[in-house]
Amino acid sequence: MTVQGVKRIIILLGLILSAQLTYGQQSASINGYITDAQTGETLISANIAFKDSRKGTSSNTSGYFTLTDINPGTYTIVATYVGYQRYEQKITLEPGESLRLDIELKPEGFQLGEVVVESEREKEEQRDIGIAQMQTKLIKELPSVLQSDVFRSLQLLPGVKAASDFSSGLYIRGGSPDQTLILLDRTTVYNPSHFFGFFSTFNPDAVKDVRLYKGGYPAKYGGRLGSVLTIFNKDGNRNEFQGSVTAGLLSSRASIEGPFKKGSYMFAVRRSTLEPVLAILQNTTDNIPDSFYFLDVNGKVNYDANANNKLSLAFYTGTDNLKFPFSTDAGIDLNYGNQTLSSTWTHIFSEKVFSNFTVTGSRYFNYPSINLASTPIDRSNNIYDFSLKGDIEYLPNEDHEISTGFWVGNLTLKLQDSFDGEDTFSSRIQTQYGSWYVQDKWDISDQWTATPGLRVAGFSEGEYLRLEPRMSLEYRPTERIRLQGAYGRYNQFLTLISNEAFTGFDVWLTTDNGVPPAYGNQYVVGAKTIPWEGYGLDLELYYRSMNDLFELDPFISDQAGLPYNEIFRFGEGYAYGAELYFERQVGRLTGFAGYTFGVTRRKFPNFNDPISNQGTARYYPPKYDRIHDLNIVLQYDISNRWSTTVTFNYATGQAYTKPLGRTTAFDVPTSGLSFDQLVVGRVNASRLPDYNRLDFSFSRQGTFFGMGEAEWQFQIINAYSRRNVWFYNYDLDENPAEREAITLLPILPTISYTIDF
Amino acid sequence: MTKLITILSLLVVLAGCDLYEQDEYQEYYVVESYLVANGNLQQVRLSTTSPIEEAYRFEDNTVSGATVEIQRLNPDSSITERYQYQEQRPGIYTPVNNTTIQEKQLYRLQITTSGGDEISSTTYVPGDFKTVNDLDPSYVYQSEQQVQITTTPSSYITERQTYFVFTISALQPNSLNLTPFYADQVDDDETDIEEFYVNSSGIVNEGNFERNSDQTITLRLPWLGVAFYGSNNIIVNAIDDNFYDFLRSHDTQSGGTTLSPGEIQNIRYNVDGGIGIFGSMASDTVNTCIERPQPPLICSQN
Repeated sequence: MTVQGVKRIIILLGLILSAQLTYGQQSASINGYITDAQTGETLISANIAFKDSRKGTSSNTSGYFTLTDINPGTYTIVATYVGYQRYEQKITLEPGESLRLDIELKPEGFQLGEVVVESEREKEEQRDIGIAQMQTKLIKELPSVLQSDVFRSLQLLPGVKAASDFSSGLYIRGGSPDQTLILLDRTTVYNPSHFFGFFSTFNPDAVKDVRLYKGGYPAKYGGRLGSVLTIFNKDGNRNEFQGSVTAGLLSSRASIEGPFKKGSYMFAVRRSTLEPVLAILQNTTDNIPDSFYFLDVNGKVNYDANANNKLSLAFYTGTDNLKFPFSTDAGIDLNYGNQTLSSTWTHIFSEKVFSNFTVTGSRYFNYPSINLASTPIDRSNNIYDFSLKGDIEYLPNEDHEISTGFWVGNLTLKLQDSFDGEDTFSSRIQTQYGSWYVQDKWDISDQWTATPGLRVAGFSEGEYLRLEPRMSLEYRPTERIRLQGAYGRYNQFLTLISNEAFTGFDVWLTTDNGVPPAYGNQYVVGAKTIPWEGYGLDLELYYRSMNDLFELDPFISDQAGLPYNEIFRFGEGYAYGAELYFERQVGRLTGFAGYTFGVTRRKFPNFNDPISNQGTARYYPPKYDRIHDLNIVLQYDISNRWSTTVTFNYATGQAYTKPLGRTTAFDVPTSGLSFDQLVVGRVNASRLPDYNRLDFSFSRQGTFFGMGEAEWQFQIINAYSRRNVWFYNYDLDENPAEREAITLLPILPTISYTIDF
Repeated sequence: MTKLITILSLLVVLAGCDLYEQDEYQEYYVVESYLVANGNLQQVRLSTTSPIEEAYRFEDNTVSGATVEIQRLNPDSSITERYQYQEQRPGIYTPVNNTTIQEKQLYRLQITTSGGDEISSTTYVPGDFKTVNDLDPSYVYQSEQQVQITTTPSSYITERQTYFVFTISALQPNSLNLTPFYADQVDDDETDIEEFYVNSSGIVNEGNFERNSDQTITLRLPWLGVAFYGSNNIIVNAIDDNFYDFLRSHDTQSGGTTLSPGEIQNIRYNVDGGIGIFGSMASDTVNTCIERPQPPLICSQN
């Protein structure tokens, strides 16, 4: 480029800047927080707009909004949020005025059949491409095994699959659970499961907002190939003391929240209550654990220093414990859990610059121990992740919403395995990581919006630096149709060693020399439509690639003495599919139906290669691959007291490997046993019977001796007791071999009672 | 619009067809034979697989009339010596002459069936080793003093570490002598007592142990390996790559790994023209008595 060329660009930039400044001096702006009028909770992605205009925005993850470049004048401002009454207020803006307008939205209460007239910006933010939001209220009302559960609720969304009734793991758009970044109050959670995967660690009593970025997620996030799940705990009621106690058959929970001078607090505790059941079983049945429980505690304290500064401190601690002497002279002890601590400073630099800075700490620990005939097999696995992150939003004018941020941290992973007192595998990786992003949500016109972004991610272990361009584009041909597309490049520096049937031994490992990060591209196109008022019909198509996938080589039985890079296998994969989502949000009957067509394939060297042509690995579908998946969720308000929720799931049977032949080795000199062997063809080329399940939940509202509101919840899981198959076990001791179907949950009634005070 | 819907519907239907289809059953030749350094040539089994739906008996699947030969090879794979086999009974081939297996040598199993099909597999016999320490006459079960065996190292054709397998062969196997853990397995009718007569540790990498200053390796026998009180032969095996691949992939096929339940993978065979194993190892055997922690004592009676 010539000097003249550079001069022209500088002049052009100067002209643009001066035009903006000139314009900015004449225009006005509005900013503030949007909160729940009853509790003072900030509301994320609430919508605010001018009546009869497209001009509007939505609140960010701190509940804050800014509207800029407003011509002076008188307007009616409208704020809406699902489940809250519409807010309208007339305001007059003077030239250059910056109006601080903190808005309090009142919960809808019980308004059957009401059709809420929504502003044109209504829910737009919540329906950006790839994003799904799960209301906490719905999570609590859905039928669920043991406990209402965040992850099992998310599994009802199109594109999200469950591995089995026993697993709360999120398999999103062909990705395994480790491909989803899970953030609790902006802090990474490494093993978000209780009961070894049966359900997730997040207590619905403590949770305020659950948001899933299924794919094509923006530059603000990174570190995982597939998706991001952000969960924010409640801040606590800023107006009055409030509490809740829920007693269930197998677990119970309690929470309190309330205000203090210039702030609020929230504490929630949840514990399994299996002890009475275990005690009964121990008297009647062999092989019952001595003890088996989980416990988690959530807390958050907020301090609103002034209008422009807020501080919060949030923590989570959870653990699972099992002591199980499963045979004479043999037993297993399991103890794993997570602890997180984060502190956020939210600072408003000006009406156009909003920021928050967070210090996070996350620990995952896992100490499984097995003792077989005085031969101890122990593992000590710890992750310590300390980080500092900052996000800054800058709104230079009404067309641009620029975000930038950083995330730097120090990650320590320690893994020590021992057998019979001797260390068999030892790894201690301490690595620094960092990332920086910038993105601009650019309203090109009333119809077009583009969000280009770039993320730079670095990982010191192995010295990897990766660029991740992101782009999303939206076109609105009519008021009720939004056509969207997104592309993103993603890298992942961690891998999870797990088993879908049991997460009690979960271990995370990282990239290193010779172990490059996994990477992939995602392409998403979609259409979001509002066919009728109060209804939504969305379609999304996706394709994603996965390269350099690294995971523990399942054929290595003993890792001792092997170089770090030799314990892995490296592969690739791809996934594509279509998701259809239809929802109804008005009237007595509400709910949604989600259909997913999906294909997932993976390939690893020396895996799934033909016997006669070894070394030519073929793509195969992972077990969780399901071609068709349909979920229907319906809620019906029977009366002021009674309501019911029904969920139905139909899915193609999961993939499994059907053995074709068998043989036996008879003379193995190191053993007195014959070695039966299965001969298989393509891995996972057969399908289990189709899966279907119907769950019911009935709720009855009432009062608890006038002291507070109370609710009975009766639930029936798998109402017609469909014996869905988890997998087939082939018993080669029988001749011919016998196939046994291992089935999933039978019909399961549960009951719980909740008191709110 | 109608056309677009039709095209989209067709695409969905086409995409819905699972193009990843199951293979048909195919019969494979199955070989089985093992070489032990400084041991004699062992028999070779030759059979075929059977469909999973059918009952499997070796006797029903034997392959007769094959020409079986084991060849000792030079490092360049040219043949140094040939050892002929004869069919002793259907599917069982035995060496015509007794020959001692040499350590650190390449051997090839070469089979030509009566139909002209070729099956072959090559193994490198690990370097022999010997135990250099004297074991105590007896060890009290689950006492702090475990059975320790110090051996010279075993070498291999590559620089890889040694893969060990411990085998404990009980010489007084009866139900009264079962150690508690194994007695429980038998009491639960889960397992026949005969399955514990010869007990195996599975693969134990050399990396689990540190080499002594004189390059010997001290191995410690886990108590888990002892199924019977009384006299036991303890055999330390250093296995070749074929045996290593066979054992580890058999473990994987049997479950208990990171693979999802029902995701079954073939065993890793290193056999051309068929499946099975032609493996080798170096071994050394020591003997000791495992004493009960409480009376009635057993070792003092021997």
